[in-house]
Amino acid sequence: MSASPVQRQIVSSQAIPTRRVLLNDPSQLPHDYSTTPGGTLFSTTPGGTRIVYERHFLMQCRNSPLAKSPPPNLPKIPGVTTVQEEKGELMKENGMGKEERSGKENANHKETSGDEPQFHMDI
Amino acid sequence: MDNNTFKARLKNEEDSGEDENGEQKNKESRPVVKPGKGEHPLQFNYCFWFSRRTPGKQTSSSSYDQNLKNIGTFASVEQFFANYSHIARPGDLSGHSDYHLFKEGVRPMWEDDANKNGGKWIVRLKKGLASRCWENLVFAMIGEQFMVGEEICGAVISIRYQEDILSLWNRTAHDQQTTSRIRDTLKRILNLPPNTIMEYKKHSESLSDNSSFRNTSVFMR
Repeated sequence: MSASPVQRQIVSSQAIPTRRVLLNDPSQLPHDYSTTPGGTLFSTTPGGTRIVYERHFLMQCRNSPLAKSPPPNLPKIPGVTTVQEEKGELMKENGMGKEERSGKENANHKETSGDEPQFHMDI
Repeated sequence: MDNNTFKARLKNEEDSGEDENGEQKNKESRPVVKPGKGEHPLQFNYCFWFSRRTPGKQTSSSSYDQNLKNIGTFASVEQFFANYSHIARPGDLSGHSDYHLFKEGVRPMWEDDANKNGGKWIVRLKKGLASRCWENLVFAMIGEQFMVGEEICGAVISIRYQEDILSLWNRTAHDQQTTSRIRDTLKRILNLPPNTIMEYKKHSESLSDNSSFRNTSVFMR
């Protein structure tokens, strides 16, 4: 019994891409059974090629040189992209350096560098 | 899934396909933003927007549009940080201000084609929490943590006098499976206490009562 032409085409397709995800705690498991840890729903990702980044990984990218230089065409908006002319002030706004300053927000809760477990909120 | 949703998704897939071929439509004659060499591409390109209400006059739709300032577009994790690290943290903004982070091509307006059938989840925050919550939401959105296909349109942090308000906009307000999945993911990534009140509002209702955060549907769990 030989396979039909259609079946032969399917056989010569690519390998299924896989990705390993390390879980340190049962709480990191997805909340529903149809989701794989760190993965995506098959039904929403034909081909399964959605680009997913975890918080931890994003924080690591924050330190790359390109991530640290401002975009070339950043518009000047007072109080938003241009803070006072103090040296270094602008560079720190959303960046890593901010935590070392005595930020206004640090008064009520401890600011963290982001790798710690997320804070508990009192809303 | 109804027909319209399906078409919208198909359209989106075509768009991202064009991205890969470097032939993306250049709708507003801005340069096409692409990930640089060695950078980590994102599933979608996004735009940062900023708006601040001008004192005095009540905002109509057209003045809202005029107040919207495009800060920058990014296509990779590195480009995201280049923008994000050089704008003020939302908690440090003054007055009646909003940051909007939307997929490229979607304007942060109720009337936009991507938004007109949509709605948003609203989380009200005590003063002092805005910067941290915004960061968690933005990281989850660009990192594709919501797992609802093409449904997410964008996120907004609204700095107000008494409280700050986080919103997450999606494409199809009547798709309950999607909206509850978004709500659950929001709770997880923001680490919201179990009794947090979540509110949902359709943009069509915002258009008819001309209000972003009043007359919402309240959900508790």
